[in-house]
Amino acid sequence: MAGQVLSTKSYLLTFAALLALTFTTVMVGYIDLGWGSMFMAVLIATMKAILIASFFMHALLEAKLVKLVIAGALLWFLIMVTLTLGDYVTRAWMPYPGK
Amino acid sequence: MTDPSALMLREQFGTPEQQRESATFGMWIFLATEVMLFGALFTAFAVYRMKYPLGFDEGSADMNILLGSINTAVLIASSLTMALSIHAVAINKQVRGYLLLLATAALGLVFLTIKFVEYYQHYEQHKAPGISFVSDKPQAAEMQMFYVFYFVMTGFHAIHMTIGVCLVLVLALRTAAGSFRPAYHTPLEAVGLYWHFVDIVWVFLFAIFYISGLHG
Repeated sequence: MAGQVLSTKSYLLTFAALLALTFTTVMVGYIDLGWGSMFMAVLIATMKAILIASFFMHALLEAKLVKLVIAGALLWFLIMVTLTLGDYVTRAWMPYPGK
Repeated sequence: MTDPSALMLREQFGTPEQQRESATFGMWIFLATEVMLFGALFTAFAVYRMKYPLGFDEGSADMNILLGSINTAVLIASSLTMALSIHAVAINKQVRGYLLLLATAALGLVFLTIKFVEYYQHYEQHKAPGISFVSDKPQAAEMQMFYVFYFVMTGFHAIHMTIGVCLVLVLALRTAAGSFRPAYHTPLEAVGLYWHFVDIVWVFLFAIFYISGLHG
């Protein structure tokens, strides 16, 4: 909302947290966690994305309509990922005609 | 009494607040379409990564983690200066806002410069699919697929960054010309949203391309 700006301090804290998470993800990346390496990388990236959206983009202070757009974008992205990977992941599970 | 023209209120809007919300809403809708654009690329990457985990790990292990980490820090810093510049204009400190916008554009250019240094290194090391690709690894063909995703996705991101730098420079000039004030600086907020979104995309690109194969 106009006038509902966050303080300089909150921006600096967000910046520090993002740098700390970047350092963390590099350090965790050096550990071999198997498939967990990609999982941890994307998990920490999601945490960083939430910080940027919440504080730099003021997503939480916006109108309900804007929150609906954000939720819609995420929902449709998840539908795309779920249906696509649901197909590719399960293809090897059982033989199917024409294979 | 505020001069109505100072609020830049267009005739189709009832109040400055309604005008601001409409503009912000429009930018968020645009960002939702950008989620679809990048989301399709990330989904395609996930499918190929699951099919060819070895080749993709080999490709990721090739990445220059130092330059990648520096670029991540540069982009996060540019998001900070962007947010602070809007804050500065909102509390009527236009000169500070102008300087912070220039800093944002400069950091964006630093990011693009480092990115192109990396591209040149890949080219020198014959890791440019379609132009020159040489690898003695058994999964050379799969690695090549990794690099196709790498160049397409970071390339799309770099195009977004270039557009962002141009927009920020235009806004810096408009701020210097005194176009924005606490009561009206919606263009700054809209471009700020775009800039932060492009930052978020990079955060995920950094994770899937640089971090995932670091342990190799």
